[in-house]
Amino acid sequence: MSVFPLARGFLPVVHRLLMPLCLILASCLPAADHSSGPTTTVVVFKHGKLSGDPHTFSALLREFEETHPGVTVREELLPSSTDQQHQFYAINLEGKSVAFDILAVDTIWVQEFARAGWILPLDHVVLPSERESFVRGSIEAATFNDQLYAIPWYLDAGVLYYRQDLLDRYGFRPPKTWQDLARITRTILDREGNPDLKGFLWQGKQYEGLVCVALEFIRGYGGALLDDDSAESAEALGLMRALVKEGLSPSAVTTADEEATRHLFGAGRAIFMRNWPYAWTLFEAQDSPLHNKVGLAPLPSGEGGKPVSTLGGWMLALPKQAPHPREAADLLRYLSSPATQKRMALGLGYLPTRRHLYQDPALNQAKPWLADLSSVFLGATPRPVSPYYLMMSEVLQPELSAVVVGLKTPHAALRSARRQINRIRETL
Amino acid sequence: MGSDHSSFKRLRATHRHFHDSTWGLVFVVPAFLFVVAFALMPILAAGWLGLHRRLPIFDIHEFVGLANYIRLAEDGRFWSACWTTLYFTGVSVTAELILGLGLALLLDRGVRGRDRASTWERVLILIPWAIPTVVSARMWEWLYHSEYGLVNYLLEKLGFIAAPINWLGDPIWTIHGAILMDVWKTTPFAALLLLAGLQAIPRDLFLAAQVDGAGAWTIFRRITVPLLLPIIVIVLIFRTMDAFRVFDAVYVLTGGGPGNSTETLSIYAYKTLFQTLQFGYGSALATAMFVVILMLTIGYVFLLRGYLREVSR
Repeated sequence: MSVFPLARGFLPVVHRLLMPLCLILASCLPAADHSSGPTTTVVVFKHGKLSGDPHTFSALLREFEETHPGVTVREELLPSSTDQQHQFYAINLEGKSVAFDILAVDTIWVQEFARAGWILPLDHVVLPSERESFVRGSIEAATFNDQLYAIPWYLDAGVLYYRQDLLDRYGFRPPKTWQDLARITRTILDREGNPDLKGFLWQGKQYEGLVCVALEFIRGYGGALLDDDSAESAEALGLMRALVKEGLSPSAVTTADEEATRHLFGAGRAIFMRNWPYAWTLFEAQDSPLHNKVGLAPLPSGEGGKPVSTLGGWMLALPKQAPHPREAADLLRYLSSPATQKRMALGLGYLPTRRHLYQDPALNQAKPWLADLSSVFLGATPRPVSPYYLMMSEVLQPELSAVVVGLKTPHAALRSARRQINRIRETL
Repeated sequence: MGSDHSSFKRLRATHRHFHDSTWGLVFVVPAFLFVVAFALMPILAAGWLGLHRRLPIFDIHEFVGLANYIRLAEDGRFWSACWTTLYFTGVSVTAELILGLGLALLLDRGVRGRDRASTWERVLILIPWAIPTVVSARMWEWLYHSEYGLVNYLLEKLGFIAAPINWLGDPIWTIHGAILMDVWKTTPFAALLLLAGLQAIPRDLFLAAQVDGAGAWTIFRRITVPLLLPIIVIVLIFRTMDAFRVFDAVYVLTGGGPGNSTETLSIYAYKTLFQTLQFGYGSALATAMFVVILMLTIGYVFLLRGYLREVSR
């Protein structure tokens, strides 16, 4: 019994296997940068993919480099799924392996990241006196213990898309209340008599987007999600279910996210849609069937309530162990400056976070609805501002989804959600 | 080469006092260490973490004993995920086994008989299994789409349904939609394993049975199934373990919705661990899952041990 002779054939095999492996590993190592001198500082900026032409944004970064000699900015893109981005940050920041200087964070993560001590307070970048120039809701979402932990980069808020041509045909104006919307939808659906035309589209899948939509319904009725007296909240959730049940919203909304509703509306197959403002540019494209047929309005509200849009969007923050905090702060200041925000808005369609830009003539020319809707964006309200918001949302998503598909009554779902959320609060 | 050989001889001579079985142990050590490092350690670490309350965001890290497991017992969402997972596993594995066996018999007949199945046919059957799960989940998401989906289109054209079915939005249909996708995807795997088993059965047995006047059904029941049983057990265990920890297929297709009606244990554990960063409770969940799988596997082995012994005799 000898196994040794095997070793004779084994060594060359190992050798052949290891060589390519070494080559692969070597190619993964950061290549030495020969073009720039040894004094170059590379600032690494982690963010998700931006929509539109990537050159527009990299041109902005090149300009920053020109005004800051010796600094190079490297963009490192994260997967497009926000869940995966959150996971990436959680693992790297908690594990203290921070190989980046700036990170883009979702509005709802700032409290969590600040509470965990993963990101730095930024009062040296944006002075407390300067906070007023930003949209109020976004500053609220970025402030933890009276200190600013992130700088609003671009903003999102729910708006109502409507088919201008269809509303005109029947002499309707955009609805102010949900009751209006239901009446208009029913009339147009009846008179058009087209089985392919649907009514009102919104995001009803079990995911974060559903929480945003539900908050808009609830707050538009004057309710508060976490109040114990839940009459308004229950009424609002009841309306969401009724829309589906009565066919004013197609059953497809119960599985729809932003893109699913955008595709359906974009094919000319719906009268109304709740979505973020990004879709407007796509509908206005020359080859879109909806070119010049789509209008934007504030979301409707309950009878006697006032419309409230949920605040979305992304912010910029500095990780605690940032390798180059000073250069990163400079880049932060540059990216959040009014001039850069304006160019982001014009070139890529991202809404600015600086209030005065909503009165900017050039921006208003590019987006004719901006002035009419400025109250929506300036008044957008964040989701519950709390370090444990993600746990809350994790409880809310299935409960809200259960209401939308008719598995639970609004009262039962709200009661169950509150019980679970209270339980989380108690244990913290 | 010659000098190499003699040096090995010398090496052997110096170690002659080692018994062969000792060498056996020595050579098992790397594999053993591998299993310890990559299977046993993580399981034990998760179990240990499950005894803690650990929320890095809130700087909470304390030993709480069995508190997480007590909370688990009272957690309605955990039990609902448990039942969803068991239902998913039970239905999909049964369907995969039956369909896989049918496919394997067809292929086996093709390989042996006059109408030889070409390599192409076998490759074609394997395609669903070769497609990455996330891709096929996205594909099925479109097939199930209530407005644009092919499934509703065909059913409507054939006159089976009057109004489109909301496959992924109706709690009753959704879990079955997910099961159908899993069956479509993994039946080829079951078929492939079973085909290998079928081809290992000596042909003489079938011929002898035919000579004795046994019909096709009797041959199948008395010869094919008993001799295939070891492979069937392997397929059952493999598929049960896979189906029980199903994650990507369902997560991409439904995200656990609507109303958590398709939330499996893996999805609940993922959301707890990686989305809300409750490391302690999430680990307790994962450990509970491991225990359930372990019990299922032991159950299989016990259930089928009698049969297996009979067959191997």
